Amino acid sequence: MAAKVAYDALIHPDRVHGSLYIDPAIFEDEMENIFHKGWVFVGHTSEVPNIGDFARRQIGRQPVLILHTPRDGVKLFLNRCTHRGNLLCTRTRGNANSFTCPYHGWSFGIGGELRGMPMPGGMGDSFDREALSLAEVPRVGIHRGFIFASLAREGMSFEEYLGDAKILLDRAADLSPEGEVDLSAGWLKHRFKANWKMLPENNTDGYHVVTTHASLLRATGVADSLAFNDEKGDPSLIRDWGGGHTELDFAPRYKMMGMPFLWFGGTSPKKLPNYVAAMRETYGDEVANERMMDGPPHAIIFPNLFLAELNITYFYPVSTNEVVQYYTPMLLKGAPEINARAIRQTEGAMGPGSFLLPEDACMAERNQLGLAAQYPEWLDLRRGMGREQVDEASGLLSSVVSDETTNRAFWRHYLSVMSEAA
Amino acid sequence: MLSESECREVEAFLFKEARLADESDYDGWEALWADDALYWVPTRPDADPETEVSHIYDNRTRIATRIRQLKSGVRYSQTPASPMRRVLSNIEIEKMSDDEYEAAANFMLMELAVQSTRNMNLWGGRAIYRLRREGGKLRLCSKKILLVDADEPIANLSFLI
Ligand code: FES
Ligand SMILES: [Fe+2]
Repeated sequence: MAAKVAYDALIHPDRVHGSLYIDPAIFEDEMENIFHKGWVFVGHTSEVPNIGDFARRQIGRQPVLILHTPRDGVKLFLNRCTHRGNLLCTRTRGNANSFTCPYHGWSFGIGGELRGMPMPGGMGDSFDREALSLAEVPRVGIHRGFIFASLAREGMSFEEYLGDAKILLDRAADLSPEGEVDLSAGWLKHRFKANWKMLPENNTDGYHVVTTHASLLRATGVADSLAFNDEKGDPSLIRDWGGGHTELDFAPRYKMMGMPFLWFGGTSPKKLPNYVAAMRETYGDEVANERMMDGPPHAIIFPNLFLAELNITYFYPVSTNEVVQYYTPMLLKGAPEINARAIRQTEGAMGPGSFLLPEDACMAERNQLGLAAQYPEWLDLRRGMGREQVDEASGLLSSVVSDETTNRAFWRHYLSVMSEAA
Repeated sequence: MLSESECREVEAFLFKEARLADESDYDGWEALWADDALYWVPTRPDADPETEVSHIYDNRTRIATRIRQLKSGVRYSQTPASPMRRVLSNIEIEKMSDDEYEAAANFMLMELAVQSTRNMNLWGGRAIYRLRREGGKLRLCSKKILLVDADEPIANLSFLI
């Protein structure tokens, strides 16, 4: 048996060891403890609105199907024929009446039940048909349509896993006058030759924006209006929600600037009359106005969901140095004025052909290449340790937007998950 | 009917567009575009851009932003620009009206990701072009690129495809 990794020797409060990104034994531990036993994001119920709708996904390295069943709503099944293991469904998404395995012809209903097989006589008289239903993912939790799952039969409850971060999912869904997001516009898929941890570490990193994304800031002329390059002028906050969930909260900046829809290109409310009216109608003027001012969350739900303002992003790791990230527009039910532009916004910001993510991918890949160098051994994560504090309003550890409070929050949780398991 | 000389002219335009893209000649490439431009990389051939997200869906304004970004010197995913060469083949051309053509070609593109991994990426698919004669010169009105692996995880697509 391989020696156990001593994670507390590799993760200090102000620095982490380079081997965490390149050691295959650590990757195996992560697959097991974080991606298979732990809770991960899998998809959204709006992707499978009708009975028989399905979408293929992965939990860690395992193939699963999100399936809208006739009687039990949305369920998750392992995408594996219960006869001898054939990958049952190869289509990415669609609608089905049944799934037939092409190897020996066993067929399954869209509730997961074994419906039939050629030449059943060979199975004997008394085989247990129900035991040969598709295997269900042991634990599934759904909040505001966001589907999370764990492949372990026992462990931390869904509520405990999500903790207060469910407020972040609420904030996303509550931007819809119907209280629901719609993730039906399809996914862009992006391959990074980098370790998966660089994604959650980067997605709520406020420090890299002015340099990594300088080209976009220059091309669009917003370089000066963004206060990212000022440690004191920008009241935006970086926050630790606990449980590895982190946030980059722009609402204080929007409030300071005193205009709604700064999260939507600063569009005038006059151009979104139906949306504004519907929000006020549903939530009342005061709450609606605040939501339209604060905008959607920019936050990580540990380990693999990124609420990227009007985009939803998630990833699955492939190996120590490869990860695949997915992006889709976060459409808002009952808000056609927003949705008409949201797809074009996603194309501008997210995905391999966009104006932002190629730089993040490039930096992640360069990090991976740099980390092949054995010295100086450690990655420095001390930014803001001297000034972060518990913010009175939220009760959360918060700091200046360019501080590494979020990276430390990620690693603190990572350490607890990885050492509990050891 | 498409005359022999029109056919030559359209093919020459496609080859020039390919070369300017290969050589990351941003100004030369941008100058090919008409005002009603559409530069489009969908995730599947019959995608509806109004309801589905695409890898790239640039109108003329966004093409200009893309080019400004590439020319900024700090578009790190293309700094330096990927060395590239593409081959066009299986070209089919149709005359749509007196001054409009639709052309399509298969392409294979070798792209070297010198900005990070130095991987040699292989891109392939079919490109569909709409060209219009404006003041005697052909202009590119739309280029729709159907990547074979458009719905799979792909590497950075920040070069000119
Ligand atoms: S493996 Fe599926 S029917 Fe045999
Ligand atoms: Fe970024």
